[in-house]
Amino acid sequence: MSETMTDMMIHARNVTLTLGSGEGATDILRGIDLDVARGERLAILGASGSGKSSLMAVLSGLERATSGEVTIVGEDFTGLDEDRLAQARRGRIGIVLQAFHLLPTMTALENVAVPMELAAMSAPFVAARAELEAVGLGHRLDHYPAQLSGGEQQRVAIARALGTRPALLFADEPTGNLDAVTGAVIMDLLFERCDATGSTLVVITHEPGLAARCNRVIELADGLLVADRAA
Amino acid sequence: MSGWRLAWTIGRRELDWRFRGLRLLFFSLLIGVAALAAVGSLAAAMERGLAERGSVILGGDVEFARSARLATAKERTLFASTGRVAESIVMTSTAVTGDRSIPVQLKAVDGAYPLYGALRLADRRTVGAPPSGEAWIDPALAARVPLGSTFRLGTATFRVGGVIADEPDRLGEGFSLGPVVMVARRDLPATGLMQPGSLFEIRYRIATAATPQSLIDRTTAAFPAGGWETKTRDNAAPGAGRFLSRMAEFLTLIVLTALVIAGIGIANAVASFLRARQATIATLKVLGAESGLVRRIYALQLVWVAGLATIGGLGIGMLAVPLVSRAAAGVLPIALDTKVAPGPLFLAAGFGLLTALAAAAFPLARAATVPAAGLLRGSVDARRTPLAQGLPWLAVPAALILALALGSATRPLLTAYYLGAVAAVLVLLAGLGLLVRWAAATVPRPKSPFLRLALAGLHRPGAGTVGLVVALGIGLTMFVQIAAVRSSFDANLARNIPERAPAFFALDVPRDRADDFRATVRSASPSAEVQLVPLLRGIITGYGATNVADLDEIPDGAWALRGERGLTYAETLPPGSSLTEGRWWPRGYRGPPLVSVDDRLREALGLKLGDELRFILYGVERRARIASFRRIDWDTLGFNFVLVLSPNALADVPHNMSATIGLPDGADAAVREAIAGRFPSTSLVPVRDVLEQVGEVAAGVSVAIAWAASAAILAGIAVLAGTTSAMREARTYDGVVLRVLGATRGQLLRLQALEFLLLAALVTIVALGLGLVGAWLIITMLFDFAWEPDPWLVAGTVAAGLIVVLLVGLAGSLPTLAARPSRALRTL
Repeated sequence: MSETMTDMMIHARNVTLTLGSGEGATDILRGIDLDVARGERLAILGASGSGKSSLMAVLSGLERATSGEVTIVGEDFTGLDEDRLAQARRGRIGIVLQAFHLLPTMTALENVAVPMELAAMSAPFVAARAELEAVGLGHRLDHYPAQLSGGEQQRVAIARALGTRPALLFADEPTGNLDAVTGAVIMDLLFERCDATGSTLVVITHEPGLAARCNRVIELADGLLVADRAA
Repeated sequence: MSGWRLAWTIGRRELDWRFRGLRLLFFSLLIGVAALAAVGSLAAAMERGLAERGSVILGGDVEFARSARLATAKERTLFASTGRVAESIVMTSTAVTGDRSIPVQLKAVDGAYPLYGALRLADRRTVGAPPSGEAWIDPALAARVPLGSTFRLGTATFRVGGVIADEPDRLGEGFSLGPVVMVARRDLPATGLMQPGSLFEIRYRIATAATPQSLIDRTTAAFPAGGWETKTRDNAAPGAGRFLSRMAEFLTLIVLTALVIAGIGIANAVASFLRARQATIATLKVLGAESGLVRRIYALQLVWVAGLATIGGLGIGMLAVPLVSRAAAGVLPIALDTKVAPGPLFLAAGFGLLTALAAAAFPLARAATVPAAGLLRGSVDARRTPLAQGLPWLAVPAALILALALGSATRPLLTAYYLGAVAAVLVLLAGLGLLVRWAAATVPRPKSPFLRLALAGLHRPGAGTVGLVVALGIGLTMFVQIAAVRSSFDANLARNIPERAPAFFALDVPRDRADDFRATVRSASPSAEVQLVPLLRGIITGYGATNVADLDEIPDGAWALRGERGLTYAETLPPGSSLTEGRWWPRGYRGPPLVSVDDRLREALGLKLGDELRFILYGVERRARIASFRRIDWDTLGFNFVLVLSPNALADVPHNMSATIGLPDGADAAVREAIAGRFPSTSLVPVRDVLEQVGEVAAGVSVAIAWAASAAILAGIAVLAGTTSAMREARTYDGVVLRVLGATRGQLLRLQALEFLLLAALVTIVALGLGLVGAWLIITMLFDFAWEPDPWLVAGTVAAGLIVVLLVGLAGSLPTLAARPSRALRTL
C-alpha cells in the first residue's frame, strides 16, 4: 500500500446503493467518488432524502454498497459481510448519532466501556473513566442515560465513540436533538476531542455554523455528489 | 475475552433485573417445570414407597394364591421348608346383624399373620389374628356394627373385638366389595362358607431369606399343575403400580403438551422482548458487535431467566412430595418416600429449558438480523429470518424433547402417537393462521375504518395471528373435546344403568338349590328378574402354540390372561352377547369341549376358530377348542364372561351359581331378608355399592381430566397474553393516532373486540371440527360407547370459551388504551 493510500482515511469510487428490489427498488446513491485525507474535517450537506445518511452508512460500514469500491482506513470494505464489517469498525471507526442511542440499561461508564471491550482493549473501565472525565462527566459515571440531560447523553456518546481512539469519527447531525446553546457546547467538545485524539471527522449536518468549522464541505443531491469545496 | 464470556459480560449488564418483557417466559416455565417436577416426584415417591414397603404391602416376601383349594401336604412342606408361612382365606360374604345384611370382605388369618408390619387397632393395640369367636372390623363397618356387638357370618356368630386402624397389607389385597372383617382361620369352618364350589381365595405368604423368584421357580417345577398365582415383594400391588405409572405418564404428557403450547406464547413474548431491544441491538452493532455476539448475548439472558425459572420450578415441585405427604397422610394408601428423586427433576428441567430454547430459536435468529444502519434512518426493524437460520435452533431442542419424552415413557409407541397427534393439530392450526393472514390481506377493504383496521391487525407485519390462532384453536378444541366426551359419557351411563343394572349380585348360591333360590327371591318380590349362572374360577395357561408363562409381556387388551378369571358354561348364547363368527353348540352337546371367546381377546391375541385354549381349574389343566367369537355388551352390568364353555367341559367340577337380581323399587329389604334367612352362605352385593366404588374411580379420572384441561387452558391463556403483549406496540401506535384524530377509547375497545371476534369465529369452526373428531375417537374407539354428545353443552362450552378468550384478549389490550397520546407520540 502506498504512503498516499495509508494517509487516505476514505477512498470511495463509483459507490452506488440501491434499496429494495424489483419495481420497488430505489437508487439512493448513484456513483459517488470521494477521498478524505487524514486529519480532515469534512461536512456533508444536503436536503432530506439526498443520500447523506446513506453515504455515511456505507462509509462507516453500517451498510454494504451495492457496487463500487470502498476503502476505509486502509481496509477494503468492498464485499465484506455484515459481521466482517462490524469487526472492521472496531477500533477504527467511531460513530456519534443524532439520537445518542446509549444503551438504556447500562451506566454512562458501562456505555463507554462496551466498544473497548468489543475491541478487546485492556482495562476498558479505566480508559472509559478517563474518557468521561475528558468530556466533563467524571461526576456522572454511574448515572443511567435516563438520568442524564440530552447534552450529557451526547457527551457520553462522544466519549464512547472516541474511547477506542478511532482514526475516523462519523457524526450524524450530532446537535440535531439539542437546543442551540447546548448544541454549540457539544460542537466545541466534538472538535476539541477530535483534535486531542487525532481522529479524522466526517459530520453530517444541516447547520451552516457547524459546516463552517470544517475545512471541507461536500454537498449531495438526489444521490449524487454535486459540490466539493473548501469551507 | 472469549465470545461467550464477552457476551455474558455485556448481557448481564444489559439485562433488566426486573425481567421486564421476560416475565411471561419466567412464570410459564416456573409453573410448567413445577407441575412436571411435582407429578414426576410424587409418582417416584409412591413407586419407591410401594417398592420399599413391598414385603409389608404383600404381607410376605412371596405370595402363592389360588381359588378354593387348600395347599396339599406336599405343597405345605415345600412352603414351610423355605421360611415362615402365613395362611389366609379371603372371600366376599355377608355380615348379618338383626334385620340388616351387609356385604363384607371376609379375611380369615392364622396365628402367623402379619408376617411383616403391624396390625393396629383403633384402641392402639398391636394385634395378630383375633381370638376365637371375635372379629376385627373395618371402621366403615363399625358405624353399623359397633364394638362389642355381635353379627353372623354364614352359620357362625362373632363379637366385634376391635376396630382396625391400620391393616398393613390393605393395598396388596386389591379391590374389595365391602369393608374387611378379619376372623381367626380356625373359626372359618364353623361359618359353613367353605363348601365345595364356594368362591374363596386361599393365600400362602412366606417370609423367606431366599430370593422370591427362586421359590416360585421351585414350586412351579415341583407342582406344574398347581395353578398358583404368585406375587413377590418387588411387585406387591401390581395393579396399583401399573395405575400409578400410567397416570403419571398421562399427566406428564398433558403437562408437556401445555408446556409446548405455552412455548408458542413464550416465543411471542421473546419476540416482543427482542423487538423492544432492536435499538439496543443496532447500537451494539454500530459499536462493533457481530450478529453472532448479539445472538449469544440474548441467548444467555434468556437461558439465565429460564434457568432461574427452572430452579424455582424444581424447588416448588420438590416441595410437592413432603406437602402432599403431610396433607394427605390419611388418604394415601401408602407412605410417600420423601427422599429427593433426581430422575423426575432432571426430566422436568430438561423439558423446561428445551422448550424455552425451542421457543426462542426464531426470535433470536431474527434479532441478530437487526440492521445497524437502521439507527441512521429511524427504522430498526429486523429482517425476515431465513428458515435455514432458525430451523437448526428449533430442531435440535425439539428433537431432544421428543427423545426425552420417548426415552422416559413406559409405552413409547403410545407416547409417539400422542405427540404426533398434538404436532398434527399444531401444524393444522398454524396452517389456518397463515391462511387467515393471507385472507385478511387479500379480501377487499371494507368501508368501515374500524373493520378495515381490525382486518389490518390480522395481517400487518409483526401481527401474532398465527400464534393467536394456534392458542385459541388448542384452547377451544380442548373445551369442545372435554364437553363432548363428558356429555357422551354421561348419556351412555344414564341410558344404560337405570334400566339394565340389577339391584343385587348374589355369590355362592348352591348349585342344587338354584330353583329354591329363584323361588325365595320371587316370594319376596314376585316381579323380580333372577338370572343364575354357574361361576367358576380358572387361569388361562395357553392358547394355540403359546404358553402364557412364556410371554415376556401380556399383550395390550389381553387382561384376561392376568391371574384368575371367572369361567362359566351355557347351553345357549348368554343375553348381552352376539356371535360375530362361528356357531353356538347345540343343546345337549356331548362332543369334545368347546369354548366361545370374547372378540376383544381374539383381537389382542390373534385367535382363530379351532384354536385350542388351555386353562387350569382346581389344579387340573383342561382344554377346549374355540367354536365361536362373541361381542359382549359390557355396559349391561350383568355377569359377562370372556370365556363361555360348553356345559360338558365344566359341569363335572363342583361349583356354585351366581345371580343377578333385578327388582322393582322398594323390594330390596324384603329380598335381602328372605335370602339371609334361607341362604346363610350366599353373599348379596348391592349393585349401588359397586357403582359407588366405580364412581369414585371415575371421579378420580374426572379430576385428572379437569387438571389436564386447566393446564392446557392456562397454557392457551399464556399464549394469548404473550401474543397481545407482542402486538402491543403496533396497537398503541394505531390507538394513539386514532385518538389524535378523534376516536374515543370505547371505539378503540370495540375495534380490539372486533378483531378478536373475527379471529375467534373462524377458529371456533375449526376447533369444533377437531374437538369433535378427537372426542368421537375417544368415545367410540377407546371406550366403545355410543356417540351421544350434548349439542347444547358443547355450544355453551364454546360460548364460554369465546367469552374467556375475548376477556383475556381485551385485558391484554387495556394498557394500549391507557397510553397518553402526547407522550406516546414522542416515544413511538
